[in-house]
Amino acid sequence: MSLLGLCLLMTACKDKEYAIPEAKDALQNDCIKRTLGPNVAGLNIEFAYAIALPATRGKIVSAQVEASIAGEATTYLEHRSYYTNGSGEDVGVAIGDPSVNEGNVTKVNFTKDTNAVTLRYFYVIPKSAQGKEVRFTFSAKSSNGETISYAMGPYRISKMDMVLDLPVKNADACFISVADMAVYTEKDAPANADKIDLVYLYRAISGISFNHALVSPGAGAEYLPDITLPPGLNRVTKIRKTWNLRDFHLARLQYGVYIDDLDFEQLDMTGSPDYVINLKSEAGAWVETADGKYRAYIYMNKVEDSKKSATISMKRYTLK
Amino acid sequence: MALILQSTTMKHYLIIILLLISCSWIGCRKETPIDEDGLLITTRAECYVSNFELLGADFQTVRTKNAVIDTIACTVDVTVFYGTDLKHLYPQFTLVTDAKLDPKITGFTDFSDLANPRTYSVISGNRQVRKTYKVNVTVQPR
Repeated sequence: MSLLGLCLLMTACKDKEYAIPEAKDALQNDCIKRTLGPNVAGLNIEFAYAIALPATRGKIVSAQVEASIAGEATTYLEHRSYYTNGSGEDVGVAIGDPSVNEGNVTKVNFTKDTNAVTLRYFYVIPKSAQGKEVRFTFSAKSSNGETISYAMGPYRISKMDMVLDLPVKNADACFISVADMAVYTEKDAPANADKIDLVYLYRAISGISFNHALVSPGAGAEYLPDITLPPGLNRVTKIRKTWNLRDFHLARLQYGVYIDDLDFEQLDMTGSPDYVINLKSEAGAWVETADGKYRAYIYMNKVEDSKKSATISMKRYTLK
Repeated sequence: MALILQSTTMKHYLIIILLLISCSWIGCRKETPIDEDGLLITTRAECYVSNFELLGADFQTVRTKNAVIDTIACTVDVTVFYGTDLKHLYPQFTLVTDAKLDPKITGFTDFSDLANPRTYSVISGNRQVRKTYKVNVTVQPR
């Protein structure tokens, strides 16, 4: 009896021998989306598209991606397959000619005998796609006429606009327009008076922490010290200071935090002041324009006390 | 034989007595007193604020220095930075053990009416003592 038990125990513990899985005898493909966060016009949606077939079934002759909305002209499908070398560098091996965009289709024709490849696809989101959904069909063709395809999406394209790294300087380029997503100098400000929402200023005032500030032109004079505004600037913009909100798109730092359409839709700016002072590097501010047309998030990429200047980036959402 | 029987009977009696004692102990135990918020009512009669913090809309402190808490006069005097948005302030009270606050802090609070300071009551652990604190906010002058 005990001998039988021992036998059973030994049988149960025996490892299964590993066998290399057999490849399917067909053209195969797979795809992953590599980018995270909201899909903002001007940015990429990146995919990795893998294709393979056994040598007995020929070679890959072409790969293509069809987008439901044509991407910007800079959209492309890689014509190189990458491997990582011993130094950790990605080395590209060209497998065909650079991709060609024809309408909604981006195509690569293979010129090298290739049986397995992973190609990156960079879809540059066009402004025309804002607020819409976009789908992709990845497909490949082999030399024996076999075709295969892989559908991805739908992906919602954000209604947000974005602008990066606008330099602002005290008493110079200091008039910020959310409507234009631009910064004007004192010379240009009067011509755009109805679109200027905020004034950037730097003041080192003893006894208080004023420093880098964003103040609406219609705010009280105590928050616009020693400033004579160009004629016509009088908008009262609601603004609220934030901290620890380093949006990945704006800050381009290691924090995986994204401001999305929903944040702007749910933002309640009721009772917010018309100024924020003592803004530090990596701080930010929610903004709602006086006409209620736009909401925005302004991020302080960099502040320089000695130069009385800063670099700002902005995400903007149109309400009306 | 008789001795063994006697010892067994004694054991049974002992078990029955122990059971009776434990039953009476359970029966006599009072129910734990709980207040309307589901918080435990204790015997503590202490009733004071031990620390006070005031956060701005960015959840960073707006105090220029530590708040002055007078537990006799029941006041909290706090000076905030110049330019602080007084309409969106988040007060945080630290209270003595077992005490609770009324009204509860549920979000940002408007402290902009400087002439009429906000008041908060501290209620002791035994829920018998109630002290109302006045929060006096002063803006740092320029």
